[in-house]
Amino acid sequence: MLDIQDTPQSPDDEDPISSDPREFAAKVNSWVPHDIVLKDAWFPLAHSFAVRKKPIRRAVYSHPFFLWREGDKAIASEFHPAEGAVAFKSDYSDATGHYPVIEKYGFVWGWFGNPANAAPEHIPSLPYLPEDGGLPEHMLGTVRFDCCAPLSLENLIDLTHADFLHADVVGDEKMDKETVEVFHDSETITMVRTCVNKSVAPIMKMFGGVRDDVQQVRQVIRIYLRSHAAIAYGRFSPGDNVQLFHPCVPETRDRTRLDYVMNTSNVKKRNPFRYIMPKASYKVSRQDSYMTSPQSPRYMRPETRKDLHSPLDEAGQKYRVLMLALAERQARGDFEYRDNVSTDCSEIIGYQKV
Amino acid sequence: MTEPVWWAVARSEEINNDKPLNVDIGDQPVVLWRDNVGIVRALEDRCPHRRAPLSLGCVLGNGMIQCGYHGWTYDGATGHLEDIPNLKNKQKFPKLYRAQAFAVSESCGFIRVCLAPKAQPPAPQDETLPLSGSENIALGHEHYINALFDNPALLINIRGVRFTPYLMTELSEQDGRLVLERSCQWASPHWPAPFSSDFPVTLKISTDPASGESVLLLRDDQFNPLLRAMLAPVPAARGVTQVRWRAKLESRRPGLMAKAMGLGTPLQIHSHVDGAALRELKPSASIHAAELRQEIAGRTERQDAAA
Repeated sequence: MLDIQDTPQSPDDEDPISSDPREFAAKVNSWVPHDIVLKDAWFPLAHSFAVRKKPIRRAVYSHPFFLWREGDKAIASEFHPAEGAVAFKSDYSDATGHYPVIEKYGFVWGWFGNPANAAPEHIPSLPYLPEDGGLPEHMLGTVRFDCCAPLSLENLIDLTHADFLHADVVGDEKMDKETVEVFHDSETITMVRTCVNKSVAPIMKMFGGVRDDVQQVRQVIRIYLRSHAAIAYGRFSPGDNVQLFHPCVPETRDRTRLDYVMNTSNVKKRNPFRYIMPKASYKVSRQDSYMTSPQSPRYMRPETRKDLHSPLDEAGQKYRVLMLALAERQARGDFEYRDNVSTDCSEIIGYQKV
Repeated sequence: MTEPVWWAVARSEEINNDKPLNVDIGDQPVVLWRDNVGIVRALEDRCPHRRAPLSLGCVLGNGMIQCGYHGWTYDGATGHLEDIPNLKNKQKFPKLYRAQAFAVSESCGFIRVCLAPKAQPPAPQDETLPLSGSENIALGHEHYINALFDNPALLINIRGVRFTPYLMTELSEQDGRLVLERSCQWASPHWPAPFSSDFPVTLKISTDPASGESVLLLRDDQFNPLLRAMLAPVPAARGVTQVRWRAKLESRRPGLMAKAMGLGTPLQIHSHVDGAALRELKPSASIHAAELRQEIAGRTERQDAAA
């Protein structure tokens, strides 16, 4: 039995999730994620440990971000220091070619957009990451997806895909009951999936010490739309909670970089799951890319053919509509944050501090 | 109305009920598999849910194909969506909820697909030629067929045979097909072809004007058949031509050179084409191919209109 509930959190502002089903469907079916370039957002460009004296290169929608340190301070620049500022400097950096930069949660974040609009309160809330960073490197890593970033996030927010694509890691579709709740505001969408008596994730049986055949599972995906960043928080009983930060940085319009954090500090040190689970990202990301890579070119251009949907797609459909609404607003010159993404979201995601 | 085209997109042995296979007909991706009673099914290789290739999914025990992304499950005969496993209640889905199905025919070791789902299959043939293979060639479909007409040596090798630049019959239409017969020599020491009075073997090529599927017949000068082959070039993605072929070396082959054809592989289809040689190849036999195709197509349309 599948129950779906939707609770918009900001009824005062104009809500792009229309109550007219035809208008909603029209927006869902106008989804061309390759055409979406959102600005005025912080992107987690690199793990803090990766940024040192020698410049490294990152990109957001093909715009170069060179990162290095001067002393302890992180610098983000449009130009390599050897290159120097050049005549074709963009509007996204200051007169010296430097971008706004912030270091938080163990990441160096760069602002892509109007530098004057950069503000710390636009950094997403990540309740289970220490604000000063410092997690051990075995909990961190980099993977890539051969597809556009919004498809990676649409993939993530429909967790039924995990039952098929990642069945050998996180378990298959067998369960007694599944409930999905969806919350949204203008800057975020949150999907809460509660599964009763779900078959145990093989990785938890093999490495997590779970001997039961079934688990009670509560999985939350919360996407910060502009930053293309998601938190994936799973509570498993029996089993350890999974605390994943999943930012999908759109390096180019068809390639996504994920500098992930899987905070397994909640898992006992003698439990191999603490060390193995973060490495599951290498297998899982390839499984995702296996599907999203051929999918991506099929979403590059508008089509008259409409995708088919089921009740399970409500979160993904709303993600599409919210992204399109943000893009439309920005195209009209409105870059305002109507909701505060840095407000602590522990309660929304049901975060249990251990 | 022009006859719908049937494309030989696979050999029978390439399709099983274990792993679906992706093929192309031009820009149209198609997924093939065998259902639980052994019938080959063909759907568009694109799940109508989120456009993932169905060929990355699996074949279920009930013969249906399941998308590997979210488990949407389709009936092979109709393309109709039959199950979404995560919807625990068994649901009946509207007719709109289906993947595009194509007509399929299996005969003489080839799987043929027609993009018109209700097309009548071609008349079945009995004999399955025992030798077979598949190749992907980076050459466009029409250019491939024209090269077959102008210089088969660029595309195929028949053991012990050398193709000459000379034809016994130029490309013409016979019974709705494009047919030519090329003079050949044995690979043993021989008088150069431009100075030769007679040739010991010929290769007759009979080609379907729409699909390019060709029947090859190597005969000696006494009309003894030596080798028979079917070559099915199909346009695929990115300008590639996929070629499936089947062949049979006749057991009775008079003469030493003909007998020697049985030492090793009698027929090879090249996976690469010599670009330098292709560029320099002068159009000769193929020069009227396009006009002949148009004549055949025009006549067929007039006959259909009269009927």
